[in-house]
Amino acid sequence: MKTIFVTCGATVPFPDLITSVLDKKFIDTAIKFGYNRLIAQIGNGYTETLLKNVSKLDTTNNYICPLTAEQLGCNEVACSFKLKANDFEFIAIAYSSKIEDIIRNHASLVISHAGTGSILDALKLTKRLIVCVNDKLMDNHQQQIADKFEDLGYIVACKATSASLMRGIDIIQTNTLQEFSTTRNTNFENLLIKTAYSNTTGLYK
Amino acid sequence: MELSVVHWFASGILIISLILSRILFVLPFFRLNESHKQDEQNIPDETIRKKIESLTNNKPLNAFIFLGSGGHTGEMLRLLQNFNEILLKSGAILHIGYSDDQSYQKFQNLVKGKKDINVQYYHFVKAREVNAGLLQSLISITKTLITSLIHIITIKYKMINKPHLVLLNGPGTCCIIALWFKIIDILLFFTSSNIIYVESLARINTLSMTGKILYLFADQFVVQWEELIQVAPRAKYFGILV
Repeated sequence: MKTIFVTCGATVPFPDLITSVLDKKFIDTAIKFGYNRLIAQIGNGYTETLLKNVSKLDTTNNYICPLTAEQLGCNEVACSFKLKANDFEFIAIAYSSKIEDIIRNHASLVISHAGTGSILDALKLTKRLIVCVNDKLMDNHQQQIADKFEDLGYIVACKATSASLMRGIDIIQTNTLQEFSTTRNTNFENLLIKTAYSNTTGLYK
Repeated sequence: MELSVVHWFASGILIISLILSRILFVLPFFRLNESHKQDEQNIPDETIRKKIESLTNNKPLNAFIFLGSGGHTGEMLRLLQNFNEILLKSGAILHIGYSDDQSYQKFQNLVKGKKDINVQYYHFVKAREVNAGLLQSLISITKTLITSLIHIITIKYKMINKPHLVLLNGPGTCCIIALWFKIIDILLFFTSSNIIYVESLARINTLSMTGKILYLFADQFVVQWEELIQVAPRAKYFGILV
């Protein structure tokens, strides 16, 4: 299964992002690029709203979620279904203790909120990453972070609308992004050791 | 009579100036810039690593690390993971401060397979819960101040005369922790707490509130974006560390 993984972060829900990826036009674009499944980590307290929205969609009757809650690192799968029109599958979980495993084992593309943790998780696993800024947050460095990582060429940044996400997916599928390097940082190691060892032993001058 | 007044006055001035000079010595603002910094950049990585290797083999590192919550904990755990060859090296003695159980769990997951590191845990009470009233806040802040002082004294006692560092990042409790460490440093004349503060990756152009306060106390102030050097000239920049 070619899967998109969407993560809203653990702290606050991000309804606009989930609504956008459930949009028919967005799903059509995803299918155009070969994706046939979407796994979403939606945050706590959003399951009921999601179920209400999903009940309006035309889904198959007997879909059984192929991944267990255990595999997804949560207590229960919040919602899962397959669309009748195009067999596109959707799995939602509120929270996951195994985000990295899900990204590593299942995702070909990650769409993430602009938290530094989620951004680094995806980049370190060398996955394509679209970062979606939640402009409804007060006190907000997320836009700056997204712009910065985009300027460095690691990600594509976009807004939480289906149109912006469709543009994002188009850019990310047709362009090569910069690879995020995770080399050892000897200068910082040196600082740690110098600070720890200089005052007590006098050895490290 | 007059003579004793002069005596008192003189010794008063002497004591005050001693304390002041000690404070100036302990706090980082007036420290001379390390002049050998330039040469160091020419030492090859291999040599530095060998030196680190032999130092940490000879005497294990003692570190106090504070985990806050959510994103701060995430950054600190990634920092520990990225520099595990030093910070989680076998033989290391780690004092872990935490204020929520999730952070405690996550840290335990991180060190699950490592049997040779000695970990001691310290629970810190959160300084203020959201929506707390004024009186409640005052009580909880006092509680935090006292319990954290007891922890810091314990940790300081265990780390003294051993290679040690205090590693802090974003959470507000770090301000209280740094304050206690520095007050103890000022009172005890022969020690430094070696506080290293790493500013959050989310900060590109301005320091966080904790960052602004810790800029006054931390022995080494590290930022993860070069832009911040303009705001905090004493800061050091090594790229993204978390």
